Amino acid sequence: MSEEKTFVPSIVYFMCSWCGSGGAETAAAHHLHYPENVLPSRVNCTGALPAVHILRPLIEGADGVVISGCHPGDCHYDDGNFRARRRIALVKSLLDTLGLEPERVWFRYVAHGEGRRFVDTAAAFNEHIKTLGPNPLKTRSDT
Amino acid sequence: MNANAAVLPTKEGFEPAVIQWLKEALNRNVFEAVLIPVETPAEDSFAYLLIKDPKFLDLASPLPPIMPVQGGKAIGRLTMRGDLNKRVAAIIRPCEARAAIELTKLKQAHLTNLTLITLDCPGVLPLSDYLDDPAAGAARFREAVEQDNRSPMRPTCQICHRFSLAEAPATDLHIGTLGNDDGAAVIVPGSLEGERILAQMGLTEDGDESGNLPEMLERWSTRAEQLTATQTERRSEAHAQLQEQVAGADRLLDIFGSCINCHNCQRVCPVCYCRQCYFESTALKLPPENYLARAASKGALRFAPDTLLFHLGRASHMALSCVSCGACEDACPMDIPVGQVFSLLADGAQEALGYVAGRSVEDALPLVAYEMDELHDVEQAYVEIYREQEVQDA
Amino acid sequence: MPEAATSSAFATQGLRTNQGAEETVRQLLRSLLQSGQVEAVLALGKTGTDGKGVAYSLFTDPDAFAVDGEAVPLLPYMPANGGGLLSRLTLEGSLPGPVAAVIRPCELQAFIELMKLNQGSLDNVFLISSTCGGVYPLETGLEGHLEEKLPAYWRSIEQGELDEAARPTCRACESFAPEGADITIALLGEEGLDEQCSLYLNTERAAAFAQRLEGTILDAEPDGTVLERSSVERSAFREALFAGVETGLKGLVETFGRCIGCHGCKTVCPICYCQVCHFDSHECEREIAYYEGELQRKGGLRVPPDTVFFQLGRMAHMAISCVGCGMCTDVCPADIPVSTIFSKVAASAQATFDYVPGRALAEEIPLRTFREDEFAQVAT
Repeated sequence: MSEEKTFVPSIVYFMCSWCGSGGAETAAAHHLHYPENVLPSRVNCTGALPAVHILRPLIEGADGVVISGCHPGDCHYDDGNFRARRRIALVKSLLDTLGLEPERVWFRYVAHGEGRRFVDTAAAFNEHIKTLGPNPLKTRSDT
Repeated sequence: MNANAAVLPTKEGFEPAVIQWLKEALNRNVFEAVLIPVETPAEDSFAYLLIKDPKFLDLASPLPPIMPVQGGKAIGRLTMRGDLNKRVAAIIRPCEARAAIELTKLKQAHLTNLTLITLDCPGVLPLSDYLDDPAAGAARFREAVEQDNRSPMRPTCQICHRFSLAEAPATDLHIGTLGNDDGAAVIVPGSLEGERILAQMGLTEDGDESGNLPEMLERWSTRAEQLTATQTERRSEAHAQLQEQVAGADRLLDIFGSCINCHNCQRVCPVCYCRQCYFESTALKLPPENYLARAASKGALRFAPDTLLFHLGRASHMALSCVSCGACEDACPMDIPVGQVFSLLADGAQEALGYVAGRSVEDALPLVAYEMDELHDVEQAYVEIYREQEVQDA
Repeated sequence: MPEAATSSAFATQGLRTNQGAEETVRQLLRSLLQSGQVEAVLALGKTGTDGKGVAYSLFTDPDAFAVDGEAVPLLPYMPANGGGLLSRLTLEGSLPGPVAAVIRPCELQAFIELMKLNQGSLDNVFLISSTCGGVYPLETGLEGHLEEKLPAYWRSIEQGELDEAARPTCRACESFAPEGADITIALLGEEGLDEQCSLYLNTERAAAFAQRLEGTILDAEPDGTVLERSSVERSAFREALFAGVETGLKGLVETFGRCIGCHGCKTVCPICYCQVCHFDSHECEREIAYYEGELQRKGGLRVPPDTVFFQLGRMAHMAISCVGCGMCTDVCPADIPVSTIFSKVAASAQATFDYVPGRALAEEIPLRTFREDEFAQVAT
């Protein structure tokens, strides 16, 4: 009987320095856990996250990228999250056209106090990526 | 918009007519200078020349068979440092005007004192096809134009649906060559400036001696609409087909398998204006440990790395301003259908954000503007899932 | 009269295997990776699921060099100058462990030049090169025509000859025997390359790395006759090629008239290493006053301007180090024979200083050094 190697997704979770990270900190304060294979990465504001930083992990070995920032109207920089939403719409459009599974990118607002929402997102996304399977790009060395 | 249109006085076809008209305009000081393609000394290509002396117009062509340099890029280089001080007329194709308009919004060009004069565009031949035998290329082009046949043209031109005024930006003046025989053409102003110029040149409805203007306009706009409809359908079919050919990692990497990272595509693109492209900057120049680690994790690392990232990343930077001119594909030494792929990406991206590149200076750039209430399908809904979980737990 | 290209290219320690050249190289590289003697190998490889593309790759998986693996180390094709790639690899630091690279003499020369320009590091770079019979232009690789050419290519190589369809700069190359490689593979003029292969082990490391290869020891240098003959043939071709270049202002304007200003030639040039080229910088962006001034003076000017200026300027900056690899011609969308023109100018510039680029690391680039007593005829 062969042992199946369980697929452990490589996930990058971009969070803004205000609400996004705040959500993570609140989760920690409440001793809530999220999967270890979800790698947190802090950016100042989701609006400052370049499109390239979503594309690059997907090419270099990540199976999914999730981005969280403040709710509309709550952005510390007023409208960064609105710009992020447009930029992510653009990236998803490109991925969709090229059959590169835009579902591997999630954008969800997480407020400073929403610890539960933060860990639920990480866990749900992890399960979601497990269903999708490994990213076909991650084994390609000719990228 | 068709009010105050005029008939372009043509006797030997519209090209000599346009040249004559421009010479007169220079002589009358309606313009200080003209920016127009001129044949090169070796008669093997065309280059944009900024012309003050009318004698240079003898070698000029308002609609050359090729587009070695995108007119929008030429306008950008001319006006990047500021406004022109005297009036200049640029004779360009609609996609070049669209590019100039995008560049203006991106603050890389200034349209003050620049009169944009567009023409109905039949497309251009791929540069390498023409260079093999310029004389034959010119003949092939003329024949194709006469027959309204786009098959010898650039792949992006073959499916272009913004080649005439209706779908193109409202430029100061548009020369409508479609629909009327024997090189007859109408000039349609798209702005007050355009109307003023027609008046200065003595070309007004009242001044139309032939009395043919209304019919000519009718024939022109009917034909332009007809062709636009055909081209729109053709574009849609071609894009559907192309999407199947590029979708998925395997097919996509096959398409870009022969890319040599020369970046010609980015260099000739009119809307790629960065002095130093991000993908050539130190951001991607990393210590060898990085390259070796990546090579170890995948078994190999294509080198120089980041080929796919360059293309996807460049698309993410410029697809919203892409005017589907196809200059990129002409410049690719490896025959990669990069213009077609980017055109496909551009249509999708621009549609997703409700934008048409180069349609108007008034249209805000889509990554600069935003609405509070939009694009909710990009947001990952949470409440529903949580409720499901609550119901399950209960 | 060029110095015979053969003399210092070979050490006296050699090895003749009883496998063909391709198989020998594959075996060597595979064993180096398997044993961990090298961390990676930079070599040509097929890309895509259809294997139609060719690109350099940094291989770590030994299976890439199996018979059916994607590595094609000796393919007569150059999608990028390998010397430039080695510079890129080591620009931000020395290699932490040995990495082997299979590159052609001009690529090696470019790398040596770049070392003189502080654009990388030689540490831990293990260089494998060969006596070179040239590569095909990039367009040969389109539509899969490269495969068709290979049998005839190797037959020519065995006879010490170049395929007429090779890059013109290859046919005109006088530096086709590598200097400074750890291993030199004897290809040009060697018979029976599908059954045997002679490797020259020029360094101790080379000898150590080749230990696992089976073969007979060669203790003499190869017979240089074929290489001499190739040198003479290529020099003749070079002269004819250069004679065909249109010179004078008229010649330059006509040749570069169709230049579209893409600067692809500069991008693929291994020697052009500047992060931001002077001709792309804000210094070369013209103010409105310039355009309007030129309009007054000349009645007309090209937009964008400075087409010939870029070409001459690039020559002034890099011709002294030009290795004549021919990447520039291949990348030009306007079919301008850039490499022919630049090689001609380079030959003259290099001769002025009696300089051969990439020949030796110790040999300073002429514009970075001077003697008090020279070129008296230049100053008045």
